Amino acid sequence: MSVYQLKDIDHYYGDKQVLSIENVTIPAASITGLVGPNGSGKSTLLKLLAFLEEATYGAILFNGQKVVPLSDKVRFKVTLLAQEPYLMRRSVFDNVAYGLKIRRDTKNLKARVGEALAQVGLDPQSFSRRKWSALSGGETQRVALAARLILKPEVLLLDEPTASVDSHSARLIKQASLKAREEWGTTLVVATHDWQWLYETCDTVLHLLHGRLFKGGLGCTVYGPWRIGQRDLLQKELEDGQVLVVPRPEEGKEMAVINPSKLKITLPGRDPLLKWNIDTLYGIVTRLFLERNGDTVQTAIKVAELVITIRLQRDKVEKLKLSPGQKVSIAYDPRDIEWF
Amino acid sequence: MDFIQEGFTQAYTLLRSLDPATYSAISSTLRASGLAMAASLLLGIPLGYLLGYFDFRFKKQIRIIVDTLLALPTVFIGLVIYALLSRNGPFGEAGLLFTIPGIAIGQTLLSLPIIIALTATAVEAADRNLHITLMSLGANSRKIAASTLWEVRLGILAAAVTATGRVLTEVGISLMVGGNIKWHTRTITTAIALETSKGEFGMGIALGLVLLLIALTVNISLAGLRRRI
Amino acid sequence: MIMGRILILFVFFALLSGSLILTASSGKAGETGRKLLMATTTSTDNTSLLDYLMPSFTTKTGIGIQWISTGTGKALKLGENCDVDVLLVHAPQAEIAFVNKGYGMERRKIMYNDFVLIGPSEDPANIKGRRVSEAMQAIGSSADAFVSRGDNSGTNKKERTLWKLAHMPIPDQETWYKQSGQGMLATIHVAAELKGYTLTDRGTYIKYESVADNMPALNILVEGDEVLLNQYSVIPVNPKHCSGVKYKDAKALSAWLAGPEAQGLIREFKLLGKHLFIPNADQE
Repeated sequence: MSVYQLKDIDHYYGDKQVLSIENVTIPAASITGLVGPNGSGKSTLLKLLAFLEEATYGAILFNGQKVVPLSDKVRFKVTLLAQEPYLMRRSVFDNVAYGLKIRRDTKNLKARVGEALAQVGLDPQSFSRRKWSALSGGETQRVALAARLILKPEVLLLDEPTASVDSHSARLIKQASLKAREEWGTTLVVATHDWQWLYETCDTVLHLLHGRLFKGGLGCTVYGPWRIGQRDLLQKELEDGQVLVVPRPEEGKEMAVINPSKLKITLPGRDPLLKWNIDTLYGIVTRLFLERNGDTVQTAIKVAELVITIRLQRDKVEKLKLSPGQKVSIAYDPRDIEWF
Repeated sequence: MDFIQEGFTQAYTLLRSLDPATYSAISSTLRASGLAMAASLLLGIPLGYLLGYFDFRFKKQIRIIVDTLLALPTVFIGLVIYALLSRNGPFGEAGLLFTIPGIAIGQTLLSLPIIIALTATAVEAADRNLHITLMSLGANSRKIAASTLWEVRLGILAAAVTATGRVLTEVGISLMVGGNIKWHTRTITTAIALETSKGEFGMGIALGLVLLLIALTVNISLAGLRRRI
Repeated sequence: MIMGRILILFVFFALLSGSLILTASSGKAGETGRKLLMATTTSTDNTSLLDYLMPSFTTKTGIGIQWISTGTGKALKLGENCDVDVLLVHAPQAEIAFVNKGYGMERRKIMYNDFVLIGPSEDPANIKGRRVSEAMQAIGSSADAFVSRGDNSGTNKKERTLWKLAHMPIPDQETWYKQSGQGMLATIHVAAELKGYTLTDRGTYIKYESVADNMPALNILVEGDEVLLNQYSVIPVNPKHCSGVKYKDAKALSAWLAGPEAQGLIREFKLLGKHLFIPNADQE
């Protein structure tokens, strides 16, 4: 059963296209991670999933139905914790109780608020009566999360929930949101830079870059300046002197994006026979994350100033004996590099 | 200028001796201002919310007009309201000229732009994330409006304080629409104008001090309200 | 709950205004029954003549009376616009025009007081004791400061009449001619500051004298001329022009003011120990 079905979403702010997503399905009770650099459209996608905005083109089906913002079908089921937590100018108790009050569901209110606060590691006794202004950043974020958890939402959307909080708060926030899925089967969609969390807990990770989804890893963007090279291709000299070769762009496109699923990783010196149209870059492995499925490993490789993240099969990583600091060569076909 | 000192002693005597004319003027002032404030808050807060919250055509132009109305001279408002309420005017039948409700209508016109403009500014200045938060916690449009206004309550209170100050102290409307009729529509400010024209400067100062005292009482209670919310 | 809190704000103001209306209506304001609205000039109210006179009328007839004291020009305008029932004013020319236009009727003389020319005791233009016309000519030709109300009030109109009677052009932009645009008392204070001359009604001068502890900077220099008399008349607003006016009550007031009781009261009225008005009602 899928909670969300996204169909041909094109979303614009004014003339600027901010999202272009063809088809994505998010199953019920799953955890979906959203990664991508700032400005890649993560927050916008979360707002669309929260039905705070309506996609300019295309449709998002919720439990198989088309819905519009403020619709009663989703209002009480989906909740978003925005990137900058906002607490209303009232007590912690009133902030947490707000959602239940507007649902006219105030039975055992005090006990439930206490429970929600305890869930995010805040002592109800000392925090309930506190003012919104008397909280640290991490506490604010946790109170904001408690205000969502108390609703036992069907879908909980988290936008960088751990980005600007202390590590203690971050741990509590992660625990509490995972517990929501375990206890109530809440579907989670999380935008985060926390790689470890992503690959440890997420069933699916969606890679966003400039409003587009990349399969198999995080696309890596390269900007100019470019110079004209051989075979009618363009070249970019990286900081360490290596040269990246890309095809000529279409009119008006400025950034080249390397799609990691098209790359081949080998150890230096053991390169397969080079074909005429294949180029090679050398890099250093910086991070390795085993994904939740246990089969694939997210591998971050630093190539001069670029970081390329590739999803590799676990047995391949073991065969190559990859570890951080390991030097690798990356073979690519310049024609696979796309322009945006 | 011994009449300033004389004013202080006279103010004390007036209040102490429960001077009926003074208390009648105090009562007229408070009734007119109270009515005007109640009406302008009831009208102004929702209008200010609409103006601050929604985007619509001519919003900027309306905003400029409202801001311009902040500069309405009270004498001018008095004249316009007089023309409307005069027995020969379009609303003459209502018999509101030279009455407290008549003054209140004029003062509402004076305070309404203040309430609307400052409420709109407060709503506009509210955090963008407030809106997202309210929506994502399940609020509908009505709840969003109510909760947003409650979030900016201090801004609205500031609007009320500013408008109360203007309404309590204006003289042009009270004089023109109220007529300064003793025991009926003589307010403290029109009484000050009268005493001054009679040369009773000390009495004028005394009444001015009484008005200050009222403003002080009103503001102390509003400050109390501010702390409580 | 949030709505509830916003309501508290409203209720606060509603209670404020509500309680005030209650306290006020229990006070002096609630005169029921017949009520007559009169527009009059500031001089009658400022001197407290009306406070002294009107309770007797109300006792006798049961007609309550409220008055709006303002400049003569505005008083006539209020009558023209049907906002008052009766006028008590002192600008004979304008009053006659008012009646001729059909706004008022049965204009009746009630009393007079008089205007006086005042100036510094040094009297640089040397007008003391002279006829008004000579005095005005002397001031005009000596170019000593003269302060005018400049507000089209009854006093201002009288002053312009005096210039005309003295065969003088009415001054306007001359440097010695200052137009204060303010009330009589304020104008006297301006004249005192400038050591200039001015025309005032006697009532305001008495007031000024007493405020100045009888050490006034300005003294009466010219008085008693026929043209200096300031005639007050009462004019009921014409019911044919204004259907809503209380003509009967206005007429009753007019008759009472001209009657022996009111005339006697006016004669005995004193401001700061000095007689001010001389009754001279037309008898029917």
